[in-house]
Amino acid sequence: MSDSKYFSTTKKGEIHEYKEDLRAVDRSKRKDSVKKVIAAMTVGKDVSMLFPDVVNCMQTDDLELKKLVYLYLINYAKTQPDLAIMGVNTFVKDSQDPNPLIRALAVRTMGCIRVDKITEYLCDPLQRCLKDDDPYVRKTAAVCVAKLFDINPELVEDRGFLDTLKDLLADSNPMVVANAVAALAEIHETSGRDVFQITSQSLFKLLRALNECTEWGQVFILDSLATYTAKDAKDAEAIIERVTPRLQHANCAVVLSAVKVILKQMELVDDDVLKKTLHKKMAPPLVTLLSAEPEIQYVALRNIHLVVSKFPQILVHEVKVFFCKYNDPIYVKMEKLEIMIQLASDKNIDQVLLEFKEYATEVDVDFVRKAVRAIGRCAVSLERAAERCINVLLELIQTKLNYVVQEAIIVIKDIFRRYPNRYESIIATLCENLESLDEPEAKASMIWIIGEYAERIENADELLETFLESFPEETSLVQLQLVTATVKLFLKKPTERPQQMIQLVLTYATQETDNPDLRDRAFVYWRLLSTDPEAAKEVVLAEKPVIADVGSGMEPQLLATLLQNLSSLASVYHKPPETFVSRTRLAVQRAEDLPNPEDHFGDESGTAISSADAAIADSAAAAGAPAAAASTTALSPQPDLLGDLLDLGGGDTSNGNVHQGSHDLASSLGGLSMGGTGGSNASQQYNSPQAQPAADDFFGFGGGSGSSARTPPAPQAPPLPVILPADKGKGLTVSGRVTRQNGQIVYKIALANGTQAPMDGFMVQFNKNAFGLSPANQNIPVGSVAPGQTATADLVLNQAAGMLNAAAGTTPTLQVAIRNNQQGVLYMSDSVPASALFTEGGNMDPSTFPPTWKGLPDASEASQHLQGVTPGNIEAIKPRLVAKNVFLMAARGSPSGAIWRPTARAQGVSELKLPHDANFEGLIGLRPQ
Amino acid sequence: MGLWLSRLVGLFGEKEARILVLGLDNAGKTTILYRLQVGEVVSTIPTIGFNVETVTYKNIKFQVWDLGGQTSIRPYWRCYYPNTQAIIYVVDSSDTERISVSAGEFHAILDEDELKDALILVYANKQDLPGALDDASVAEGLGLPKIKSRDWAIFKTSAIKGEGLFEGLDWLSSMLKTRRR
Repeated sequence: MSDSKYFSTTKKGEIHEYKEDLRAVDRSKRKDSVKKVIAAMTVGKDVSMLFPDVVNCMQTDDLELKKLVYLYLINYAKTQPDLAIMGVNTFVKDSQDPNPLIRALAVRTMGCIRVDKITEYLCDPLQRCLKDDDPYVRKTAAVCVAKLFDINPELVEDRGFLDTLKDLLADSNPMVVANAVAALAEIHETSGRDVFQITSQSLFKLLRALNECTEWGQVFILDSLATYTAKDAKDAEAIIERVTPRLQHANCAVVLSAVKVILKQMELVDDDVLKKTLHKKMAPPLVTLLSAEPEIQYVALRNIHLVVSKFPQILVHEVKVFFCKYNDPIYVKMEKLEIMIQLASDKNIDQVLLEFKEYATEVDVDFVRKAVRAIGRCAVSLERAAERCINVLLELIQTKLNYVVQEAIIVIKDIFRRYPNRYESIIATLCENLESLDEPEAKASMIWIIGEYAERIENADELLETFLESFPEETSLVQLQLVTATVKLFLKKPTERPQQMIQLVLTYATQETDNPDLRDRAFVYWRLLSTDPEAAKEVVLAEKPVIADVGSGMEPQLLATLLQNLSSLASVYHKPPETFVSRTRLAVQRAEDLPNPEDHFGDESGTAISSADAAIADSAAAAGAPAAAASTTALSPQPDLLGDLLDLGGGDTSNGNVHQGSHDLASSLGGLSMGGTGGSNASQQYNSPQAQPAADDFFGFGGGSGSSARTPPAPQAPPLPVILPADKGKGLTVSGRVTRQNGQIVYKIALANGTQAPMDGFMVQFNKNAFGLSPANQNIPVGSVAPGQTATADLVLNQAAGMLNAAAGTTPTLQVAIRNNQQGVLYMSDSVPASALFTEGGNMDPSTFPPTWKGLPDASEASQHLQGVTPGNIEAIKPRLVAKNVFLMAARGSPSGAIWRPTARAQGVSELKLPHDANFEGLIGLRPQ
Repeated sequence: MGLWLSRLVGLFGEKEARILVLGLDNAGKTTILYRLQVGEVVSTIPTIGFNVETVTYKNIKFQVWDLGGQTSIRPYWRCYYPNTQAIIYVVDSSDTERISVSAGEFHAILDEDELKDALILVYANKQDLPGALDDASVAEGLGLPKIKSRDWAIFKTSAIKGEGLFEGLDWLSSMLKTRRR
């Protein structure tokens, strides 16, 4: 024996005991030991060193022992990834066991073992189980596919599991269908790709399965139905009809999901009678949700909140059920209050007010405050009820309860703003309660009221003075209001006392304070008052716009997103899902490991053909397909540049129109632009949002030529492609395109404000790019963009060596950052069409053309077919080409027609020289230098 | 009465033995295991992991562990060594090229401390195939004749035809019985 025996002291203790027992011949002893191990595992002891021994107990016909071992495996396979392989054979055997429970158990456990080394061995059993005779096994296997996708998406695709899953949608067993739906939806979400699209055939199958499967299966199916966009109103009505019975279900999740589907499909229904009946039908189930436990009630209320924000009519007659019970937990009460405000109408306001008044006398301070605010909001939103609301508020002020009074004053300020010159008689009552104000917001409100109505309050100066005493100690909110109120007072009653007061306030605010806002405001007033008091009057005492109830303060876009996510955590948080879950992990990964150029192009040509087929008439497809095919073969040395140059364009509706009239000249020029969906190249690489509208066509001929074919002189600008959709841009939609205008490269940009607040302070910057482009001026000259408005600007672009990104080669991608004062910095990706780079000086001497052309590498040549060009109309095309800075060099006959040589010179630091070689059937050539 | 009988069985009857079936991949271990257990040839796939079955023969209950032979799995054989009474080492007699690899693994097993008391039974399998080495050649290839300190035996077998397997078990059971006494 060597010295190692001195170190082998581990042979004692619990673990050793377990180990001995696990190796025991006696079966019951082994089982007992596994139970002990599991018990130790659940209390957090590390028993991973027993892995081989536990795995050795795996092959047994004792189902209980098997389950225990599987449980252990799921827990520890990750810590012992190498040893986990010893379990594979048992899984394979168990997945062929005559007992379906064991088959399902095996496949389920396999899915839970996230060890790369063994996943590939699990594919065969999974494949078998997906086609199992027993529905229980199939449904378990379906979910396992989603799990496997999470571990190794490539494997799932290579083995065709996605197709198998899709086949399961047509399974005879509804539970299998439901699980297949759940798995596909999950994969769809994690991968961020379109793997799960409900078609009209699968729709029918889903609806059929819906009636028979378990409640959670129903939830999965309903959730997927909510993502389906119906073809037409009839389609939508059919779905609604099948889904409506689900509203009766006892499970709240089913009810909410059903509501979600109905709301979504109702968008397409125009039949008002049907809509009304649906609204009626949805009310009782929603109300029933409130009879559950408070926790569920809360979730239901958060969801109902969203529903009534969009469709108050659904529950407008049910406001009574939202009345708070004395024993409701506070979180339920708060939500109910919110919904009551939404549902308050002229018809029920009396009842609602009575309730609010009741709540305002309760003990919970927060609740009371909210109740008082609720009264105010009702007053602001319901004009006819305003008077009654004010009376209630006044009654509440009489309680002299400090926090009630303060809240009341805050809301009364809003009421004054909403109904000017109507209820000012109550100011006196308010003034009686000055002493009780101790919160900044209430003080600020009261000061505002005093300043605003200084002329009606006899002792306004005295009142203000009481506040001024503590001016230095107040919060900035109150200080700002005090400055303004004092100025108002002075302008309205320019007597001695206010004059002293204003001196005091402005001196303090300009000299003593550290708050720049306060100081600046004070300076502005001071200047204003010292230069022109009359002007000051006009500015300070100007008519104020009337305010309106802001509702729940939710932006319509957010509300739409949340309604889409009804019955999920998003609808409880009232936040879009992407703000609290990061599911994009996989999608990002995908974008990083780009396929190699050949594959990439293979894909591209495939999409080019299919999109062209779908979007445009046959001539376009004919032009697009060969062009894309040509790009795959001829251009591999310069894949990025040329791929994109050729792929740009197409898909755009304005071009589509052109191609419809397939035989005239315009269509052939439009044909130049074919070659794929616009910008799809860039969007794949950078995962940019710029998916749909074509960025630009190949040489920029295509722009609006649908109309120009008939009226040649004035080509209209096509709508700019969206490079940043609103959901990525926090409500800001950015569209843009690089074009050539009057000899300059110009970035045309459109900024659409989809939020409820104005946006301003727009600036732009580019990342270093292949052409050295950068904006001449970083400020975007659009000023402020009001809500719902779109501002456009043309940004002149310079080319500078400092902006040149040598590493980019000739990638036409342009990474753009835009910032403003509201959204911060937003990043997006665009691409530069070649046409923007062609310079006016591209015309060459015919004698120097051939050597130049030959001097360029053959391999970098790109070509494209032109259709419908005949020798007779070359001259007619010429001016249009020249307008795009493409010059015709030579035209000569050839067996197949004639060779036509245009040339263009591109502006750019990389000095693209682009002579083209085109004959009538085919070929426009590009050779970047 | 029942209690009495079962005691009798315990005294004279079944013994238990833990046996490992080892060998390179594609040697026929799994086929042998199921030939012994169910008596027929089952179709097998490469064993990624292990199979364990109980085979009762001549009053001895053999707990037979068939471990996968892939290179990736061989390192984990050692997890199964403790408390092992016998090793059945299976050699593909027709795979002349890898006989030296097999010999290497075989000697590694012999050197294991935990297996120093284990009986060694070698099956020169796949005798049904043309060009298969006979038992003497396999023994030579594995270097068996040089082993003096241990009990070993080699048998010509064909798992497909079922030949030689039980002869090996006969040897095992008799050896085990003599040892016990």
